[in-house]
Amino acid sequence: MAMDTVVCKNCTLDSKTPGITINAKTGLCQFCEHYTPLSTEKKEEYKAQMDALFLSPPEHRGKYDVILALSGGVDSSYGLYRLKKEYPHLKVLAVQFDNGFISGTAFKNAKKFCDLTKSTYFRLVLDNNLLRDTFKKAAKSKDAYPGFAKYRASDMCNTCMSIIKQKLVEMAIHTKTPFIVFAFSPGQTEVPFVTLTRPFMTWIRRLFDGQLKRMGVEERDLYLMDQDIITASPPDTEVMIVHPFLVWGYDKQKFKEECIRLGWAEPDIKDPNSSNCLLNAYAIKNHFDKYHIHSYAYDLSALVRQGNLKKEEAQKTLSTPFSEAAMEDVHRKLNA
Amino acid sequence: MNAIGKDIVQFLKSRGFLDGKISIAEHESLTETGVIDSIGLLQLVDYLESTYKIEIPMEIITPENFDTLAGISQSVTNLKK
Repeated sequence: MAMDTVVCKNCTLDSKTPGITINAKTGLCQFCEHYTPLSTEKKEEYKAQMDALFLSPPEHRGKYDVILALSGGVDSSYGLYRLKKEYPHLKVLAVQFDNGFISGTAFKNAKKFCDLTKSTYFRLVLDNNLLRDTFKKAAKSKDAYPGFAKYRASDMCNTCMSIIKQKLVEMAIHTKTPFIVFAFSPGQTEVPFVTLTRPFMTWIRRLFDGQLKRMGVEERDLYLMDQDIITASPPDTEVMIVHPFLVWGYDKQKFKEECIRLGWAEPDIKDPNSSNCLLNAYAIKNHFDKYHIHSYAYDLSALVRQGNLKKEEAQKTLSTPFSEAAMEDVHRKLNA
Repeated sequence: MNAIGKDIVQFLKSRGFLDGKISIAEHESLTETGVIDSIGLLQLVDYLESTYKIEIPMEIITPENFDTLAGISQSVTNLKK
């Protein structure tokens, strides 16, 4: 670290990261300066809201109450288990997106947790060659996503997550499922409940289409929600996205211990940030090379700020080197 | 630009959304100029709801109402009435 690099007194963000400023007087980054912790009343309000939603889901004609994005990693595996523990009556369709880089162990974990929770498992598969080409384009692209998205995730992960969101919303409309659950950490999102109306769905579809276009992706319809499904749905169609870790709280270590106790197996991935996707480390390095931003820096700093993670642990994670061999493997696969 | 517009610019600056961009015109598209995407938009909605003590119905979150500083300011003003 350069001599003049200043680390925020509170979290892990530092002055050498583009866009991060540390106030010389307070020693805090701009995010810590503007941070207001969630009040107890607000937490209780969120809990009551989630209970109201999940204890008596709205009447619908579909087979499922919830579509849950299941990667097979710690967070989503624990999220599925906890959801069914808290609301056992919910009928859950757990969707695992096969992006071509999911570890074999993550597939086994996903199926194991579906069996354990009596949830329906669905493996979402798209054209692998086209996907690989899209990830390559995301890696080569610059500024396809807005400025702040660069802090949230790498260009490759933003692309992958946007595809998942688009396809899950499409599935929710198609199957008349009222809720989609994402096991995002409180560092990855700040809003626990998001209602998607038809006009908003059309807008986010158009935004992602523009981002894919900026990357040079031609076969974009494959990744976007089907506009005909949106248009054909009743005008009052709504899908609600729920991020339960903003309500339950977040302790990765405890989640992992609980998952292991339930039979979750740790994959052989040398990546401190992902327990399911082989692409992740490559994507972080690619992002850092392009923008000098570690794509987990903001997420982890937010967890530190909220008291969900110790600063030293976050710093250790951020400074852990990646396996060159693993990255070489991904590079070869992407360019095959 | 009215007070709400200035407040939104301040929010966008302080949370890193402007990414080196010095200013944004009132009628400039926030999404097409790469200032925010759908997730950023939701963060902004959350901020506006808590700051102005209003509830923003999802059905009014459309490009017509929420893609420019002018549109957002007008929507917030209408909801405050």
